[in-house]
Amino acid sequence: MRILLVEDDAMIGESVADGLKAEGYAVDWVRDGKEAEVAVSATPYSLVVLDLGLPRRDGIDVLKGIRERRIDVPVLVMTARDTVRDRIKGLDAGADDYLIKPFDLDELTARARALMRRAAGRSEPVIERGLLSINPATREVTWRGESMALSAREYALLAALAERPGLVLSRAQLEEKLYGWNEAVGSNAVEVHIHNVRKKLGEGVIRNVRGMGYTLAAE
Amino acid sequence: MTSIRRWLLAALLAALAFAGLAAAAATYVSAREEVDTLLDEELRQVALSLRDHAVLDLRRLESVAANPAQRVLVQIWDPAFDRPYISRLVGTSPMPRTDEGYATIEHDGRPWRVFTLFTGRQLVQVAQPTALRTELAARTAWRLLLPVLVLLPFLGVAGWWIVGRGLAPLGRIAGAVKERSPTALTAVPTAGLPIEIRPLADALNDLLGRLDQSFSLQRRFAADAAHELRTPLTALNLQVQLAERAQTDADRARAFERLRQGIRRATRLVQQLLTMARLDPDAATSTPTSVDVSKLVASVVDDARPLAAERGIALNCEGVADPACVSGSEDALRILFNNLVDNALRYTPAGGRVVTTVTRDQDAVQVAVEDTGPGIPEEERERVFDRFYRGRSAEATGTGLGLAIVSQVAEMHRGSVTLEAADSGGLRVRVRMPAALPGTERPPAHRTANAPA
Repeated sequence: MRILLVEDDAMIGESVADGLKAEGYAVDWVRDGKEAEVAVSATPYSLVVLDLGLPRRDGIDVLKGIRERRIDVPVLVMTARDTVRDRIKGLDAGADDYLIKPFDLDELTARARALMRRAAGRSEPVIERGLLSINPATREVTWRGESMALSAREYALLAALAERPGLVLSRAQLEEKLYGWNEAVGSNAVEVHIHNVRKKLGEGVIRNVRGMGYTLAAE
Repeated sequence: MTSIRRWLLAALLAALAFAGLAAAAATYVSAREEVDTLLDEELRQVALSLRDHAVLDLRRLESVAANPAQRVLVQIWDPAFDRPYISRLVGTSPMPRTDEGYATIEHDGRPWRVFTLFTGRQLVQVAQPTALRTELAARTAWRLLLPVLVLLPFLGVAGWWIVGRGLAPLGRIAGAVKERSPTALTAVPTAGLPIEIRPLADALNDLLGRLDQSFSLQRRFAADAAHELRTPLTALNLQVQLAERAQTDADRARAFERLRQGIRRATRLVQQLLTMARLDPDAATSTPTSVDVSKLVASVVDDARPLAAERGIALNCEGVADPACVSGSEDALRILFNNLVDNALRYTPAGGRVVTTVTRDQDAVQVAVEDTGPGIPEEERERVFDRFYRGRSAEATGTGLGLAIVSQVAEMHRGSVTLEAADSGGLRVRVRMPAALPGTERPPAHRTANAPA
């Protein structure tokens, strides 16, 4: 799950990025509208968290640009512009949700989860894939009815594969979903995480699909 | 309470009554003169006719004296008789003898006008009570005064109405002003106002305009300030939550350090907001003093030395022109230079250099503050003067108010602020203000309502 954070304020950006990373998301943080446009067209994000008052290019314009280019990533707008008219303008420009500053980190992550869940076409908060059950709100993973202790990356790996039933992701795609730009990624990092997950949950939980990548076991 | 209407009306009626009375008095005096001339002549004619005609023709005498219209008394002294002949008024004592010609005498308890003629043998006296003359003159004057007195009540009513109508525009303005609310200070309509009231309405509109401008500035400032406080508050909120969640001591220490930075920024923003709110836009013009900018900048630089040392930046004060005075508010100028030096120190990395230079030419004092920081890209140089604008490269604790304050103070002193790239690649801020000759207070021109705020 990779999230694009667009926020010009250093302190807010740093805190939101840290908060999201702690939830196991890969976070790319840009500080102006132009960079946001470049980033969003180069990388398939699960969510864009967008501040509206941005230097170089206004948030609303960035949002309109995203929708004009038919990129249907969910966009969560966070802004200090709190009048009803501003909110309507934001939603009409293509925002999926609206968060007024100041906000709680918990609310931000809850809304982020809800947006990504809906984008994945699910309505139930807990993801069930055969014997595997993932609760994004608590990041609790149960396998064969047993609660499993996983690292943030291991959790992110399972969550990425569980996003849609039968989803197959290549190593590169998984890497993209697990790591932000500034994070050093070892060449076999994804394989290491897959190995660790298999060790904890059993070999059968992740299946190799030859020439394509990895998928969750059907049962 | 005084009333223009009542006052005008009373004054007009009094003036009218006075004019009427004065006219009547003048008429009385001149009528009296005319009557005197006329009746004196009549007395003489009667006397002459008595001399020319039958002097002792008593019958004729009777007919003259008995004519009530003549209302004259004839008295003739004849040496042949021991007492004078007196026409009518039997029982009346004889008038005393008088000299030839006209005379006014007291007789029988009232004043008489007498014409005396000496025929050689007889003394003829023709007399008439003066009361008759007074009565005639008074009647003439009264005939003039009467219509004025009759007209007074009517004029009173008409005047009340006319004055009321004349003052109606004042009432309309009062109504229009009453309708204004403190949030909608639009001008009162001046169309069709009489020229006497127009200056009042114009002055009122001017005041309303300035009030409105100042109110909307205040409102915008409050709204901007509240809006801008959200950013540091949001950061604080998030930083506290991250501190709460920190799993390891290292994480917690890092979170608290960030929280402290966040609090510093919020505090600084509040301080800057207060500074800005307290900047009295008229301070430089209402009580201008001669401020030596050289000394002021040197003192600001001295105050900033500890911060410069802490950040490892060389801070120098160069090219001091002596003296370089401007006319204005020392407090406001200190805030200006403090902000410039503070900004330069904030954005300059350790090992850098900040230099202030004060120069003076024919009619201006110029202060330049140059740093070796990252500078401001050309496309942002206009916007950084906007309140709360923080550039792309803005440091985390910037409030976006510093340069807005600088340009506000410079404007108060009719100065200008320019940003340019320094030779070192950093930023050079130049503040140029009209110089004041030392000792000669030259107050800056007063700001007008139309001057850009």
